Amino acid sequence: MADVSKNLKVYTTYGPKSAKGTKPAIVAKMIEKAKRPLFVVGSDVLEEKLLACAQTIAKKGIPVAATGHSIKGFIDEEGVDAKYINIHSLGTFLCDPKWDGLDDNGCYDLIILLGHKKYYINQVLSGLKNFSDLKTINIGRHYTQNATMSFGNTTPEVHLEALDELIDNL
Amino acid sequence: MSELKTGTFSVSDLENVQINIGSIVGAIEKTAAEEGEVGPTIKPNISGLRDWDYKLFERYNPVYTPMCDQCCYCTFGTCDLTGNKEGACGINMEGHNAREFMLRVITGASAHSGHGRHLLHHLIDKYGADYPLKVGQTNIIAPNVQMVTGKKPETLGDLEDSLSYVEEQLVQLLACVHMGQEGEAIDFESKAMHGGMLDHVGMEVSDIAQISCLEMPKADEEPPLSEIGMGTIDSEKPVLLVIGHNVAGVTDIIDYMEDNDLTENMELCGLCCTALDMTRYRTEGGDVPKAKVVGTLAKELKMIRSGVPDVIVVDEQCVRADVLREARELMMPVITTNDKIMYGLPDRSEDDVEDIIDDLKSGRDDGALILDFEKLGEVAPRLTKEMSKIRKEKGVVSLPTEEEFNELTSRCVHCLACELECPTNLPISDAMTAAEEGDLRPFEILHDKCVACGRCEQACPKDIPVLNVIEKASQKVIREERGKVRVGRGQISDPEIREEGVNLVMGTTPGIIAMVGCSNYPDGTKDLYRIADEMLRRNYIVLMSGCSAMDLGMYQNDDGETLYEKYPAKFQKGNLINVGSCVSNSHITAAAIKVAAIFAQRNITGNYEEIADYVLNRVGAVGVAWGAYSQKASSIGTGCNRLGIPVILGPHGSKYRRALIGKPYEEDKWKVLDARNGKTMDIPAAPEFLLTTAETIDEMMPMLAKNCIRPSDNNMGRMIKLTHYIELSEKYLGIIPDDWYRFVRSETDLPLARREELLKKLEQEHGWEIDWNKKKIISGPTSKLDVSAQPTNVERLCKEA
Ligand code: SF4
Ligand code: SF4
Ligand code: SF4
Repeated sequence: MADVSKNLKVYTTYGPKSAKGTKPAIVAKMIEKAKRPLFVVGSDVLEEKLLACAQTIAKKGIPVAATGHSIKGFIDEEGVDAKYINIHSLGTFLCDPKWDGLDDNGCYDLIILLGHKKYYINQVLSGLKNFSDLKTINIGRHYTQNATMSFGNTTPEVHLEALDELIDNL
Repeated sequence: MSELKTGTFSVSDLENVQINIGSIVGAIEKTAAEEGEVGPTIKPNISGLRDWDYKLFERYNPVYTPMCDQCCYCTFGTCDLTGNKEGACGINMEGHNAREFMLRVITGASAHSGHGRHLLHHLIDKYGADYPLKVGQTNIIAPNVQMVTGKKPETLGDLEDSLSYVEEQLVQLLACVHMGQEGEAIDFESKAMHGGMLDHVGMEVSDIAQISCLEMPKADEEPPLSEIGMGTIDSEKPVLLVIGHNVAGVTDIIDYMEDNDLTENMELCGLCCTALDMTRYRTEGGDVPKAKVVGTLAKELKMIRSGVPDVIVVDEQCVRADVLREARELMMPVITTNDKIMYGLPDRSEDDVEDIIDDLKSGRDDGALILDFEKLGEVAPRLTKEMSKIRKEKGVVSLPTEEEFNELTSRCVHCLACELECPTNLPISDAMTAAEEGDLRPFEILHDKCVACGRCEQACPKDIPVLNVIEKASQKVIREERGKVRVGRGQISDPEIREEGVNLVMGTTPGIIAMVGCSNYPDGTKDLYRIADEMLRRNYIVLMSGCSAMDLGMYQNDDGETLYEKYPAKFQKGNLINVGSCVSNSHITAAAIKVAAIFAQRNITGNYEEIADYVLNRVGAVGVAWGAYSQKASSIGTGCNRLGIPVILGPHGSKYRRALIGKPYEEDKWKVLDARNGKTMDIPAAPEFLLTTAETIDEMMPMLAKNCIRPSDNNMGRMIKLTHYIELSEKYLGIIPDDWYRFVRSETDLPLARREELLKKLEQEHGWEIDWNKKKIISGPTSKLDVSAQPTNVERLCKEA
């Protein structure tokens, strides 16, 4: 089992509220329970092995918000419902209860993130933490304290193991 | 006591009479008014343009991404504001973050106008208050000054009044930071916009003063090229390094070197905007630049650690706080020349030159504060020659030897502490492993991405000087860092605006991409080259300034040419311009103002709102601050925003904690009025934001094209812009953008070569009705094509229906 819930070290802190460390199996359960999950995928996902994981997760029927230029990894993938959106815009719209989502079916209740620069996604998540009630889980390789839950800091190898475990549990 | 309102008077043979001249400002105001129309906002105070700001915020939502969830401004606190809670004084998270953003903006604006004030004092001292302002072929010497203050300055002395206005307003804004008082985020936002506007006035004053006095290029269509890069510095010669933004004192160094035949035997080089301004000094008319540019702030520690400089002179703004501590280790005396940076050094301004040189070369002092520029001019080059000998004799080396390098890389225990603390989480540990195995490439790649902040070294439990390791490993690529940067040209001339204005407003020149700001890029310096090259090939006008202008010159194409050599430098489509240093950013907003003034014959004097409205709706320009980190970058960007110019930041820009983002799904927000009759017109969502970030260059490319689209585009213009939007999206994202059809008003807006294909998509995917015989759109578009419409957001500018 890939233990990714431990190393929650941060360089500087944002304040009193920090993400809980979490494990792949727990994330899988939360995704199963969610009514409107959204899988938000950043450009760093375009690395071969990470992309394969991301595509597999997407194929489990979770709609994908492809930020940056990550959409390139999802075009023509069968069974994947992916749309491009800028992450800063997405962060803004997610705080707006009047937004109808990427597919006009209403707002989301769980956000799962993968493949973003840590310092960038942590900022976007800070907006969501302070101005929305959304649950956010970062399953990237770096602990991001502004999510509701986050994997801890890991090596690339352990990170891939953790993603495989997550996929097995979905 | 009698008061004289206007006119002239003469006094003779007076005894015991006191004459008080309060201010002659009013007289100038009067002249401006007499010469032409004057708008409603001469020297607006904090609330003067609030209505305009509110209009912008109605469409562009302030978006906060706090960096600290607490507030510790006063001793009522510390207060936890997480989740938009209120602190003890009643301010909530939104309000506090808006306040913080405003503070960032006025810090930047103060840096520029403080610089301007220092420069102006110095130049008036040297050249006199009556010295005429000369900025090139133009009737509008200072567009920002004229638009905001209502003045048309003609002499150095005339600039004082504008600067006083800026200073007064900045004090008022700073007062608003005090705890309590303002409760609503939106009014802090409006104040931030005010600070941004003031910044462009302050920058303009600084730059036109130095352009006029220091024989800098004046709206030159082909200024000379200067050398740039660490690889251009001949370390065999004595090397004098200057760091900062204020060229005032450096000009004395250059003059002394020339007068004493030192130019050939010494290297004078610079980092940051002082470097750019040194290359502008006395190059009016195409003379060879008198100094070399090393690069940006990201090169400061690298250059010092290289051990190459013999003496360092610093002035102000983006200068590392540890220059003295770093230089001390390497026996490089540091001379501070401005009271913004004094590093605890003794003030030697009044001392004898020989004594100062003796104390520094003997090592008795690490450095000196010299505020007398004439003295500085002599001390710095003479000391450099002496120190070069001494440092060579002593064999001062900084970077590790081969053996030390091997020891350092094998000392690494791969704990990843450095990577966690690196602002971009660079893969240092893997590079250490590769270097141990003899492969230096990963470190060479790191070298380009590393901003030389030194945080990794502070974190390493094994005391490895990580930056020195990176630099040692990258010696080969550093030697190859040799490029060319075009010397800053200053303003865009009136004839250029006259020719190009129509193309910009109609859209047949697809837009202006203004790449400004600092060097905290997410993925290395080459990003800038990629953006500029792509947009220039597509005929956009690309304007550069500051650190971005430098970094662009660091790359060559396959023919060994930098983009500055490849593309001409006029203000017309497909041209690449460097306006100059940080303070030259005012010429970018000035160009937009001049399009309104010259092409559209709008009055700009004291007429901010009308001009900003014009720019927002008709001038397709987007700012890019891809590596912005400084407070100055936030004030420059905010000044652009108030004037209706959208700005995109790189991912680090999210740490400014505030963006201005529109919501395309809020349809009622995307409407303008037609000034001919006051009727409402639907427009597509562009510009979609005033300030936002992009994740990667690839993502930003189509964003640039889309956000140059304006309601005023004619169909040729819209067709060109839409073609670029679709093509760039296909090229960099691999998709036709979801919203492309929203920009189509008629079939003539469609890219010519793909008209049939796109008409089919409109019919099948969006349910539009098409007349296939005539290949015409019958119904579908939400926005209408009417080339004579006069789009505006300001009701008072509309004629009655
Ligand atoms: S300014 Fe207000 S929120 Fe900040 S510490 Fe003081 S009381 Fe708390
Ligand atoms: S000096 Fe370079 S490698 Fe070290 S932390 Fe700073 S950016 Fe990262
Ligand atoms: S902190 Fe030091 S020991 Fe740890 S990985 Fe980085 S360089 Fe190696």
